[in-house]
Amino acid sequence: MKFSFDKEWLERHADSDQNLEIAAGSFSLDQVPRAMGKPVGDPAAEPRVVAFGRLINLSRRKRGWSIEDLAESSRIDVSEAIRIEHDPVYIPGPRTVYQLSTALDLPRERMLQLSGNMLVRDRRLGEQAVKFAARSESVEKLSRQEHRALEEFVRYLNESR
Amino acid sequence: MSDRSITFLKDRRTGELVEAALIDGVSRQEVESTESAWRPFLMNSLEERRRAGNSELSPPEHSHWDWRRKHEAVRGLIAYRMFGVECDGAMQGLMLVSTAGHPCRIKEQKGKEQVYVDFVATAPWNSPSLVEISKFSLVGRVLIATAVQLSMEEGFRGRIGLHALPQAETFYARNCGMTDLGNDKRKEELRYFEMTPEQAAAFLR
Repeated sequence: MKFSFDKEWLERHADSDQNLEIAAGSFSLDQVPRAMGKPVGDPAAEPRVVAFGRLINLSRRKRGWSIEDLAESSRIDVSEAIRIEHDPVYIPGPRTVYQLSTALDLPRERMLQLSGNMLVRDRRLGEQAVKFAARSESVEKLSRQEHRALEEFVRYLNESR
Repeated sequence: MSDRSITFLKDRRTGELVEAALIDGVSRQEVESTESAWRPFLMNSLEERRRAGNSELSPPEHSHWDWRRKHEAVRGLIAYRMFGVECDGAMQGLMLVSTAGHPCRIKEQKGKEQVYVDFVATAPWNSPSLVEISKFSLVGRVLIATAVQLSMEEGFRGRIGLHALPQAETFYARNCGMTDLGNDKRKEELRYFEMTPEQAAAFLR
């Protein structure tokens, strides 16, 4: 497509535009643009997002917290906390991920990668996330197996930073 | 395939308007070459600052962006377009826009389609947060005018939207005349700005 720019118009605004920043977009590191609410360009993101939701769910239950407790501790809406745990294509914003990571004492950068906010260069993270999501199928109470799965995955996240 | 249009930037050293090219469809190679020019300049400037004892000054808020990843992420997606402004043999600014998936939010145009500016930034040597006197000005105006013209071409009548980084809010509110819809909780609490067809016409006047 051809575009046209009036030289006089540009000349007229040159002084008022100088010394102003123009950046728009996002604070977060390498956030992947989203199309229609889904991550694009990183087809491997979805299993990680499932693992992210499961990790939040198990970490919350390990502490004996309700969804409301999690929302309050992380300063997010209850409805968003529910979506994070149960919607496999929902990607929370980086700020929310930071707040969840702080409340649940989980490594922030890895959480950004798991949540679909950052592209993942480490293939093993994807593999570990899929393994974790498969092993941590939801039950009412945190079982010994889930507890072990959770502990192992959190240890992996911390060790591989 | 890329298309080039003639535009102009102001060379701050001479005070003259100089010819530049607006590139529609920035290639992977151009993005690679842009990053390999922008990144060392940015790192050197920050290092110089540190040595001069000015490391407490805020660097540009987009310093960490990697345009190669953005380019790769939207490869093959027809809703996304990447534009660049080239002048003096180097890329002076880049912009990634999408033409779907971001309906308008202003009450009188709520739900209507618009061009959404996913990312826009100038070269580090044009960034007032990094250098005392930028090399070229008008990069932002050219890119936003591009988004407005694309919106018109798509039948969106000039409607555009974007989330400004805090250092850039003045440009969008005052110099572009966009409506400030306040902090967006869904997007890192960045301020969301939107332009109506009337504002687009005023902006281009």
